[in-house]
Amino acid sequence: MSEQEFDRMLAKYADVVVKVGLNLRKGQKLSIRAIIDDAPFIRKVAESAYKAGAQYVDILWSDENIIRTRFEHADPETFSEIPNWLFTRYEEHYQNGDAELAVYSSDPDLLAGIDPELIAKERKARAQKFEPLRKYENVSNWCVVATASPAWARKVFPGISIKEAQSKLWEAIFNSCRIDLPDPVQAWQDHTDTLKKYKNYLSEKHYSSLHYTAPGTDLTVGLPEKHIWQGAEASFKNGITCTVNIPTEEVFTLPHKDQVNGTVMATRPLNLSGALIEDFSITFENGRAIKVTAQKGEEDLRKLIETDDTACQLGEIALVPNSSPISQRGHLFYNTLFDENASCHIALGNAYRDTIVGGEDMTNEEFQESGGNKSLIHVDFMIGSVEMNIDGIKADGSHEPIMRKGEWAFKV
Amino acid sequence: MTDKTHQEMLQKYAEAIVKVGLNIRTGQRLIITLMATRGVPHQFAPLVREVAKAAYGMGAKYVEVLWGDEEMLRLRAQYAPKDSFDEYPTHTIDAIMNMINNGDALLSISGANPDLLGGLDPEVVGMMQTRHLNIASKISEQVTTNAINWCVVAAAGEEWAKKVFPDLSVEKAQEKLWKAIFETTRIDQPDPVDAWKKHIESMKERARYLQSKKFTALHYVGSGTDFTLGLPDGHRWISAQSMAQNGVAFTANMPTEEVFTLPDRNRADGVVTSTFPLSYGGTLIEDFQITFKNGRIVKVNAKKGEAALQKLVDTDEGSRHLGEVALVPASSPIAQRGHLFYNTLFDENASCHIAIGRAYRFTLTGGEELNDEEFISAGGNVSLNHVDFMIGSPKMDIDGVHTDGTSEPVMRQGEWAIKL
Repeated sequence: MSEQEFDRMLAKYADVVVKVGLNLRKGQKLSIRAIIDDAPFIRKVAESAYKAGAQYVDILWSDENIIRTRFEHADPETFSEIPNWLFTRYEEHYQNGDAELAVYSSDPDLLAGIDPELIAKERKARAQKFEPLRKYENVSNWCVVATASPAWARKVFPGISIKEAQSKLWEAIFNSCRIDLPDPVQAWQDHTDTLKKYKNYLSEKHYSSLHYTAPGTDLTVGLPEKHIWQGAEASFKNGITCTVNIPTEEVFTLPHKDQVNGTVMATRPLNLSGALIEDFSITFENGRAIKVTAQKGEEDLRKLIETDDTACQLGEIALVPNSSPISQRGHLFYNTLFDENASCHIALGNAYRDTIVGGEDMTNEEFQESGGNKSLIHVDFMIGSVEMNIDGIKADGSHEPIMRKGEWAFKV
Repeated sequence: MTDKTHQEMLQKYAEAIVKVGLNIRTGQRLIITLMATRGVPHQFAPLVREVAKAAYGMGAKYVEVLWGDEEMLRLRAQYAPKDSFDEYPTHTIDAIMNMINNGDALLSISGANPDLLGGLDPEVVGMMQTRHLNIASKISEQVTTNAINWCVVAAAGEEWAKKVFPDLSVEKAQEKLWKAIFETTRIDQPDPVDAWKKHIESMKERARYLQSKKFTALHYVGSGTDFTLGLPDGHRWISAQSMAQNGVAFTANMPTEEVFTLPDRNRADGVVTSTFPLSYGGTLIEDFQITFKNGRIVKVNAKKGEAALQKLVDTDEGSRHLGEVALVPASSPIAQRGHLFYNTLFDENASCHIAIGRAYRFTLTGGEELNDEEFISAGGNVSLNHVDFMIGSPKMDIDGVHTDGTSEPVMRQGEWAIKL
């Protein structure tokens, strides 16, 4: 791709993010969180946002290198402190109904070799500090996207130069995000319509549980009575509907936090703030993880589910066919935004309020009584494969196939 | 310079910044920023990373880097709605104020694009600048009263390097500017921290000598300059090292070659002629003269940029008076390089200079405790501006005038006339 062509693609990508991802309104402010490597893309987003009438674009930059430096050199005693201005910055944007863009292009190996205890300590301090912001999750339009940062590209495409790796990763991003199509905005409209059909079909079935089987996996997941399947678009209290993840291929809902039983085997590594957990399985009993094993990173996984009392329970189940365009690329991305759209997955921790009828207006207690999990964490991991079968179980005990050999078993 | 050597130099530079510039204390937090670009330009990441490492090595509790993208200011000026320029999220200002109030340390890294906002709608640029100065003024107040240990250093930004060395490729220009930075900040010496200790000691001796003299005025004579500048009672000569209100001795500028104090805002008479161009608000002002009467600027003229100079002195009443007088020998290592840097941190350390506008409170005994009115009655100046301009040259003689009217040489032919 020539430099000019790349610049054009980057501008098209920024337009899709502003129009489809955020559906930014004239006069809205836009808050962005990004790493300094994302700058070329963020400049395009800012230009596109201002042209769409944004009042102000406020960017919170960070440098991952400085984050690792802290883990390597700072006194471990200091890790429980999170600067208050970060909290107030987010809160003010939420209270003002501003749009939010998060760019997730992290180095998958950022914290490799750092003491899991220290990582867990920092994660917990951060999660506790920002927990009060959870109540704003449905307030205003937000979106998560990624750029081909050098460290991430090197991890996905090792053995070639960083420049070549970035160029390959950009190609994968543009392709998975439909930016290489003649009219990306229309292509997203069509894609959203398709995902809507799947989620509507599943919502109307009112399954009482799902049963997953695959090598190493035999798991039954109960669904709360009023669960709703979601996908592609989300609607916010400020009246804006937008596509919160670009790319997205999933439909998802919440499991009943106390009705998960059996064992599930991960089919892809989990990247946990830079620590990779590989070949792991988790056994659940009455919703709680009672056993974890991992070939690599078992200690990190154990720390994760011990973050709080409910980190060992599930908060999301998502269905993605194995033929998804991202899965078809045939390699791992070491980035949840991509890998979760290549495979059926489930998440430890917090459930989304919009996956249950009336969830946004429930108190924490009401939400939990309805089967929703509430936790400081929300961590997705992949369990889908070509060998996975999923059945939907109705209230009367009858079974229907939902997926066979990793593909949808019904037509919409 | 090979990459490895450059990296090693950056490490030595970071160490000197943390140990000499900031003198960071165990348990202090450090905030790194650059106000002009609303955060440190991304291109300074290699230096910022070394500083963070060095600060943690000294026991810093937390290093907060506020990043700013220079390009974002341009994009906003070009594309944002015309009625939106009042927007100014104060989060980062609040973060800095919080750390200052907590007694933490502050580092600014200058060297951003000197023509950053060139070619943009002046009205929009003016609106953005005014809003920024007003909101950020509470930080300037804290810094000019030395509330905490702070330091300004430079990094060889691409655009700045091209401005200083326009005939070289960007790469060569940056390499040459880094070399100038490392040499003038003594990083090329075997033990930079020790070299700084010696430099600070010799600067202190000069300041002590001038302090002991309690001159009531300085008399400047040079080419196109014949000028008497009063010094108020209680003026304090300051050099390289200062004591912050949080109790930490720090070096506010690296490099620094100046000994400075405040003039009496009501006692300046005669004519001064500039010896270096002055870059103000993106305009270069050259070959200019300023005439003073009873401390007040009564006439300005310039071969180039006279309108900009007039605009500067018209900003407010304080911009018609002086706020700083600084002595630098013409043989200063920075002057010896023989070229302009288009960056005050360097150019002011190449020449005797004076500043239009605000005086530093710490240059007057007890000045930190005074309110604006009291400070003004004591001879101090208050203004939105503080703009240094260069008046020194190898032709300049300066006499110190005693209260009894006798005088003695302070500088001759641009060099110190004082034997220590």
